[in-house]
Amino acid sequence: MKMEEKPLSGPDNTRLEALIQDIYSELVEDACLGLCFEVHRAVKQGYFFLDETDQDSIKEFEIVDQPGVDIFGQVFNQWKNKECECPNCKRLIAASRFAPHLEKCLGMGRNSSRIANRRLASNNNISKSESDQEDNDDLNDNDWSYGAEKKAKKRKSDKNQNSPRRSKSLKHKNGELGTSISLDPYKYNYNAGISFESLGPNEVRSLLTTQCGVISEHTKKMCTRSHRCPQHTDDQRRAIRLRLLGPSVPTLPDADVEGDSFDVPDGQALLSCLQWEDSPDISPTDSASSKASTNHSDSRRPKKKKSALSMNSGGGGVNLTGVIGSSAQSNISLSTKKKKPKTAAPSVSSIYDELN
Amino acid sequence: MNKESRLKARVNQKLTETGERDRLKELLRAKLTECGWEDQMKAQCKEVIKEKGLEHVTVEDIVLEVTPKGRALVPDSVKKELLQRIRAFLTQHVS
Repeated sequence: MKMEEKPLSGPDNTRLEALIQDIYSELVEDACLGLCFEVHRAVKQGYFFLDETDQDSIKEFEIVDQPGVDIFGQVFNQWKNKECECPNCKRLIAASRFAPHLEKCLGMGRNSSRIANRRLASNNNISKSESDQEDNDDLNDNDWSYGAEKKAKKRKSDKNQNSPRRSKSLKHKNGELGTSISLDPYKYNYNAGISFESLGPNEVRSLLTTQCGVISEHTKKMCTRSHRCPQHTDDQRRAIRLRLLGPSVPTLPDADVEGDSFDVPDGQALLSCLQWEDSPDISPTDSASSKASTNHSDSRRPKKKKSALSMNSGGGGVNLTGVIGSSAQSNISLSTKKKKPKTAAPSVSSIYDELN
Repeated sequence: MNKESRLKARVNQKLTETGERDRLKELLRAKLTECGWEDQMKAQCKEVIKEKGLEHVTVEDIVLEVTPKGRALVPDSVKKELLQRIRAFLTQHVS
C-alpha cells in the first residue's frame, strides 16, 4: 500500500510530502513486523502466555487501594506501640527502641564497647585520685575494691575533686601520679607515664632533661610533664635524678689536678646551663664513650664526686629547668676532654655557694 | 516515474548512510512502547492466536491480521513527530 503514484507535475513540495509519507509508512510497518515476529517466536517457544496465571492468584495479589493501608494490604505502624520483653534484662521495651536497647544490654555492638571503655578509664582515674586522698600506702593494696566502693557512693564529690584548686592542695604528696590524672578524669590519660625500668641509662638521661620524671608511687612510672609541672616539687625531681643518674654520673674527670677538677665540672656545668637544650644531643654519644672513665673516677674520688654532684643538684634544683640532667651530661662530656679553662671556676663556685 | 524512483532511491540511501534510518526506527519503537501501542498490539496478537489455535498459528497469519490495526493505532502525536523529523532530514540533506 505504498503511495508511489503521485503526479509528477505536482510541485516539489507535494512530492516531498509524499516522500515523507512513504518513509514514515515504511518505518511503521517495520515496527509492526518486528513485533509480529517477536510474538510469533514467543508463541512457538512457549513463553508468550507466561504472565497469565489463574484467576485465584490474580485476585490474591491484586493491588490494594484502601486508605490507611499500603498496596499489599498491610497497616503502616501496626507494631509501633507494641512492647517486647528483653530476653536479657526481662524488661518491657518499646518496639522501636528494642534494637538499640539490646545492643547495650548484651554488650555487643560498636557503641557499647566504646562506652564500656570510657567507663573503665574514668573508673581508673577516679579510683586513683581517691586513693591519693587517703594519704596512706597501706590502703593501696585495697585500691580496687575500695576505690570502686567510694566511686559508687560519692559520685558528685568526684567532680569537685577534679578541679584545679583541689590538685594544688595535693601537691605535697610524694610523687603521686594520680593528681595529674585527676585533672582529666574523662580522658584516656591513665597511662600518662613511662616505666623507667625498661629504659636504658641514656634514654633515662635524655628523658630527665626534658621531662619532670618524678616516679609515681603507685604506677612506678615517670611523670612525662614538663619541668614546671605543678604536681611535683623540685625536691622530688632532684631526688629522682640522684636516684637514677647518681651511680653513673661521672662528675670528676679521671686524672689531673684534684682541687681544680672539683670546680671545673661546675664551671662547665654553668656554661652548659645556659645552653641546656643542646645537651641531650651531646650526652648519649659522650656518655657512651666516657662511661668507663667515669666509673674509674667514681672509684677514685667518691667523696668529692658526691659533694660535686650535690652542689650541682642544688644549683640545678634552684634553677628549676633541666639543669640537673644537663649538668650531669656536661660532666660526662668533660671527662673526655681533660684540660679545661679554669679561670671561671672560682667565680662559678661562689655562685653555686650562693645558690645553695 | 524514473526520476521519482531515483529520487526515492537516493533518499533511502542517504537515510541509511547517515544512520538516520536506524535512529528513526529506535525513536519510533520507543515512542510506541511509551504510549502503550505495543501492549495493544500484543493483545491483538493474543486474540488472533486464540482464534487460530496456539499450535498452528503462523507468522503470516499474525502479520496479515495485526499490521493494519497497528498502522491505525499509532497515536497522532507520534506520527507528527516522526513526520517532522523526516522532513527536517530531507530538507537538510536533499536539495
